[in-house]
Amino acid sequence: MVRRSTPRSIVRCVTIERPLMNNESHNKYWKSLTERDGSSPERDVIPQDGVPFGISRRRFLEAAGFTLSLATMQGCGRTPTETALPFVQQPEGVIPGRSQTYATTCAGCSAGCGLLVKVRDGRPLKMEGMPEHPLSHGGLCAIGQALPLGLYDSHRLQHPLKDGESTEWDDVDQAITQQLSEIESGGGAVRFVTSTVTSLTLQASIDTFLERFADSCHITFDAVSSSAILDAHEQTHGSRVLPRYRLDLAHVIVSFGADFLGTWISPVEFTSAWRSRRVPTAEHPEMSYHVQLEGRMSLTGSNADHRIRLSPDEYGVVLSHLYAKLSQQAGESADRDELGAAPISGEELTALAERLWEARGESVVLCDSSDVAVQILVNGINHLLDNYGKTLDIAHPSRQRQGNDSDILDLINELKAGKVTALFVAGTDLTHNLPDRDGLAEAIGKVSLVVSFSERLDDVSSLAGFVCPDHHPLESWLDAEPVNGVIGLLQPLLAPLGNTRSVVESLARWSGKDDSAYDILRAHWEQSVFPRAESEESASFVSFWDQSLHDGFVEVAPTEEPAGEFQTDAVSFMEDTPAADYCLSLYSKVGLTDSRHAHNPWLLELPDPVTKVTWDNYVCVSPAKASELDLTDGDVVRIESTGTDVVLELPALVQPGQHDRVLAIALGYGVKGTDRFADVGPQWLEARPTVDPGQLVGKNAASLIKARDGMLSYARGNVSITKTGKRHELASTQEHHSLEVPARVAPPGAEKRDAVQETSLSAFAEDPTSGTPEVHHFGDAQLWPEDHPKTGYAWGMAIDLNACTGCSACVIACQSENNVPIVGKDEVRRQREMHWIRLDRYYSGEGDDVDVSHQPMMCQHCDNAPCETVCPVLATVHSEEGLNEQAYNRCVGTRYCANNCPYKVRRFNWFEYPHDDDLQNLALNPDVTVRSRGVMEKCSMCVQRIEEGKIEAGRLGQPLADGQVQTACQQSCPAQAIVFGDMNDPESAVSKALENPRRYGVLEEFNFRPAVSYLRMVRNREVDEASDDHAHDEEGGGHV
Amino acid sequence: MHRTIVNVILLVGLFFGLIVLASGMSQWRLPDNQQGYAPEQPIVYSHRLHAGELGIDCQFCHTAAEHGRHAGIPSTDVCMKCHKYVTSSFDVLQQEIKLADEQKRKPETIISDELQALYDTLGLDDPKGPISGDAKSIPWVRVHNLPDYVYFDHRAHVAAGVTCQKCHGPVESMERVRQFESLSMGWCVNCHREATEEGINGQAVNASIDCAVCHY
Repeated sequence: MVRRSTPRSIVRCVTIERPLMNNESHNKYWKSLTERDGSSPERDVIPQDGVPFGISRRRFLEAAGFTLSLATMQGCGRTPTETALPFVQQPEGVIPGRSQTYATTCAGCSAGCGLLVKVRDGRPLKMEGMPEHPLSHGGLCAIGQALPLGLYDSHRLQHPLKDGESTEWDDVDQAITQQLSEIESGGGAVRFVTSTVTSLTLQASIDTFLERFADSCHITFDAVSSSAILDAHEQTHGSRVLPRYRLDLAHVIVSFGADFLGTWISPVEFTSAWRSRRVPTAEHPEMSYHVQLEGRMSLTGSNADHRIRLSPDEYGVVLSHLYAKLSQQAGESADRDELGAAPISGEELTALAERLWEARGESVVLCDSSDVAVQILVNGINHLLDNYGKTLDIAHPSRQRQGNDSDILDLINELKAGKVTALFVAGTDLTHNLPDRDGLAEAIGKVSLVVSFSERLDDVSSLAGFVCPDHHPLESWLDAEPVNGVIGLLQPLLAPLGNTRSVVESLARWSGKDDSAYDILRAHWEQSVFPRAESEESASFVSFWDQSLHDGFVEVAPTEEPAGEFQTDAVSFMEDTPAADYCLSLYSKVGLTDSRHAHNPWLLELPDPVTKVTWDNYVCVSPAKASELDLTDGDVVRIESTGTDVVLELPALVQPGQHDRVLAIALGYGVKGTDRFADVGPQWLEARPTVDPGQLVGKNAASLIKARDGMLSYARGNVSITKTGKRHELASTQEHHSLEVPARVAPPGAEKRDAVQETSLSAFAEDPTSGTPEVHHFGDAQLWPEDHPKTGYAWGMAIDLNACTGCSACVIACQSENNVPIVGKDEVRRQREMHWIRLDRYYSGEGDDVDVSHQPMMCQHCDNAPCETVCPVLATVHSEEGLNEQAYNRCVGTRYCANNCPYKVRRFNWFEYPHDDDLQNLALNPDVTVRSRGVMEKCSMCVQRIEEGKIEAGRLGQPLADGQVQTACQQSCPAQAIVFGDMNDPESAVSKALENPRRYGVLEEFNFRPAVSYLRMVRNREVDEASDDHAHDEEGGGHV
Repeated sequence: MHRTIVNVILLVGLFFGLIVLASGMSQWRLPDNQQGYAPEQPIVYSHRLHAGELGIDCQFCHTAAEHGRHAGIPSTDVCMKCHKYVTSSFDVLQQEIKLADEQKRKPETIISDELQALYDTLGLDDPKGPISGDAKSIPWVRVHNLPDYVYFDHRAHVAAGVTCQKCHGPVESMERVRQFESLSMGWCVNCHREATEEGINGQAVNASIDCAVCHY
């Protein structure tokens, strides 16, 4: 491990030769507009976050010496006495320190992905995707990964509340039962509002509960609903269903604003399906063709082969044109009104229609519009393309979004008219997520019985007379049928931490039953699910139940849902409406979606995959509009809804690729109680609060949702934007840890380094290695060949950039696995975020249409690691197995390694990050050291998992099989973009990936010999742009 | 005048400081070195008796050593496998049986002080009774305690055939368990080096000395 010799020849060679880049003057990829335009002041080589005080070197050394001697003296002597408490009676199968995995279902949203939970010593620690699951296929998004922090949240309610006071369940039950029997006998309207209920048992419980009342109804409200899609199908197919989109069968995907890789309906399922068609090989250079038409730059749009900027209020017109063209193709009579001019060019429309028509039955058109007429057009197009029954399944529909906007608007009117006697709210923060919060709150005040099941004191619970907190999903028994025929089970992984109670149990109590949630669930399964079982093995219910519980899900016969014939009459063209000044687009942020996860600091600190901003929401404006309004990032603007008094002040963010008329704001922020994060980071002399006094994390934009014609519109006109002159600094990681070398220290020609490589499908078909830039390589000498023969394992990783969508699930997976601290907004501003993986997002192109590339970047475990050579205390050294190790207890914090790291992946612990919340500390992984102040850390390739895998294989006397050790990022990647394994094993998946002609290493030309390889991105385009000596086609058009 | 006062204060301070230091000197050792540590335990349990005299295998009680990272302290019900019936030392029980035989009566249950302490934690009036719900865990004092940044795994060592005594010393001769070896990094690394060179029980092993074998 100790290096004995320095091969001088290599050092000399580095000083003499200079890299020869063919793009000396022009860099193809850029991270921000300032970087592209070169208008930013040159960054210092050393980050500007050095020693904050004016302290002389001499004084510093004095203080350091004194501190050191004190610390040494303090360390001498006995360590404190520690007791070890064994079990009194050891439960069967439990071995202290050994984790067990349980199968359950994720309840982070209503998508119902399969979940494997690692439980150690009685506490759930790590959420992993379930590879066998028919929808999620082993993927899990950032929200699913962040569940432990939601579970161990000290702000969750510990007791039921009655008029805001903690009380006992008996009191609550007595009071509610009494009021309910009065309603039952005296009459009165009972309204039960939930978010989408995919649970069969919960649905049955609610139905049974409401049966007693003469005037009762269950209303489903989704914070961001897909109501229009369901309503459209009611009109075109006669049943109000959400089709199951089969993107794995779609060769051409055209999405109008639907962010299906990020937040729309079931992103993990869609990502997995989308990715299955994105694997071009030298033998079969084929992949699906994905066109995104959208106003803002969504995660999905950033991954599209062809992206067309289109304001959401223009979707209808373009879809009308598309419908007309396709019905012409289909030979149907175009007995329609004349259409106005389309906002996109005729060639583009024709090309789009042709691509779709060629892929009839293998294409899909998606749209996130909340306008039913638009969705009817989408249905019409999918019908013309013969996609129903193929890529859209309405016979076995999805149950992932069931919200009904018109029902909720009716309820608001009822509430305002004082017609509701009892209101139950479960799974949604009703008042937070609807416009006119105050009016609604006043109306709710008129209701005599308001019961909320919220797990914390959110906005609607603060208005409720009774708060009956539900368990966290990891504490409850429940089920979920996200798609007709696929039923998942949720099982408790620990005893409830508080005195909470599941909703089904509460409803049973109030109906006079004493059954536990488990009894109710099991009884319902015996009665309703077991008869649908198809497998012959499950002869008895007990074995069926046991098997389902073991697997976490079961596939049963779908219930037949009658879908009528397509009603062509329902389709009507949309006229070209005169363009409003602005179109405001309210969207869900990837890794947060709606307000229910707004108390999760991991998710709040997760940089948005596209904008890279943490801890805030903001108004995205296009670069052209920004220069017109004289806006830069962080300028506070005032958004006004004309004709009303709704005003929202938010910082602006200039977003390349955005439509000029579109303003975009994320929902799900400004949640009650998030002022708790004011002191989330380290508290030191110059610390600034993450949340300003009296403020919350972000602002709630729900007030800008427009309710009209029974719809909740998330895209709307009639807004104005004005600059206020105030500033609100955003914490963006956009330009942090750049691979760029500042011009004044860079060797000539090496200022610009393109970390991303891409090619087009047509070029790839001709030459699978196309897209390889011509750069000079510095030979292939190894620095320490005799020290690191790598005779056993040689760990390596390959990341397929063509699969990676940038969804950032890996960032949270890594944070959860490796105890990465939360640093708070102020520290993020100072470039001190601690995430071990960063998702580098590069733009390319110079016009208004930009291409986006996502690149996960973590420690590359270089064989010739520049960090290792500069560490004065050998705290970072190379292992026999090719890992770049970091020994925390040896590190003295010189930060030389971070400065010398060409990939900028090392993170320094500037502080002892707060671990004051004992409950939250339960989420820490005991297999990984919690780092203290003053040490460097970085990706270890989950060495704790490697060691565990090797030791367990050794115990069993078996060789370590490929795939047995999976890194945290790899395990739950929804796109399966990451492959990890032993490079010495020629049969391993990673060795196979290394033979891929698309393989390249970032900055490989400098002979760092990284252990992480990337597979070049392929865009499905016919024009050969990528290999055309970077003469990039900036027009954005002509790709089709 | 002023300087003198300061000097006097400093001298007095130094004097007291030295006294405090000197009294602490006897316990000084390198940080985290706990060699020889043998704390008093809540129940006087003798490894000499159990592992030495009676020859009970280590893994009979410390079952997790083979399966998990920690060898684990046995749960109390493991003690009760024998001590449901063995309530005192063999001699005492034999004497009572003999005496009862002579006096033509049923032998009385004689409970030794140590075992009474065990039954007390379990809330047992009768050793043969069932373990009640309010049984308490025994707060054993941890003897072998590695720093938090060290990850030692018993599994690997048991699988490789390293004897327990190699690290824990002659536990079978210890009345009260004490830390026999220094458990310092140098000690670990030396053993790993030797094992790789010489093998364990004639078997070749690769006991790596990479940092990340123990530190992550």
